[in-house]
Amino acid sequence: MLLIRCPYCEEDRPEVEFVYGGEAHIARPLDPAALSDQDWEHYLYIRRNPRGRHHERWRHTHGCGRFFNAVRDTVSDRFEQTYKAGEARR
Amino acid sequence: MSDAIAIPPLAVAGTDLALESNAVLPGGVTLTLEPPASRWSLRARTAEALGAVIGRAVPTRIGETLDGIACLGPDEWLADPPAGTVVPDGAGQPVSVVDVSARGVVIRVEGASAARVLCSGCPLDLERFAVGRATRTVFETVEVIVWREQADMFRVFVWRSFAPWLWHALKAVQLG
Repeated sequence: MLLIRCPYCEEDRPEVEFVYGGEAHIARPLDPAALSDQDWEHYLYIRRNPRGRHHERWRHTHGCGRFFNAVRDTVSDRFEQTYKAGEARR
Repeated sequence: MSDAIAIPPLAVAGTDLALESNAVLPGGVTLTLEPPASRWSLRARTAEALGAVIGRAVPTRIGETLDGIACLGPDEWLADPPAGTVVPDGAGQPVSVVDVSARGVVIRVEGASAARVLCSGCPLDLERFAVGRATRTVFETVEVIVWREQADMFRVFVWRSFAPWLWHALKAVQLG
């Protein structure tokens, strides 16, 4: 079973307690009305989808309930690290 | 603490769910449905703010329990207040105290193999789960809160609509 470290619970927990939340560090535009359709489309739908190191959001739904960020390798599925929401990109 | 608001007990009983109150598994582990009791869900940004409103000390580390209060998350607690405790008002405080007595039931799993019975559907290593700890987790696909009160006794909190399924799933556990 894949274990994921929850930065709030500070322990490794089974993957089934977590839910994936998409790519991390995507800031919502401060003034959405000022965006062109193309920029808005980019914000809503376009993701980096890298091969390798990926920053993503996870939520410890069946645990402490918190969202946090993780760095995962999309090739090996190995979690490099996890850190609390709101902290700087690592 | 300011004026208190009295809320009538709404707790769920086994008879509401057409469940028996006891069962003995082949390995000697017993299941007991706890009688209806008062339960609170507590939310607050800090443990101090919460403690001031409910007038009791609360645990600060996730997974810890203290005097019938379990810390489930950075801003969430579950409490088993003594019968008849009224919900404190706490108006103006950044604290939420919600009576969730009607939300679910508690199944007691007791016996030398209690941890192994729960491990049949729970992904955590409950044999190494310290006495006095509590956490939210899953049993198969059902969300539960597991609270280890004694080395051989776990309390499993489950929402009422999932309770009959969980009861029968636990009853059907066969230890190899």
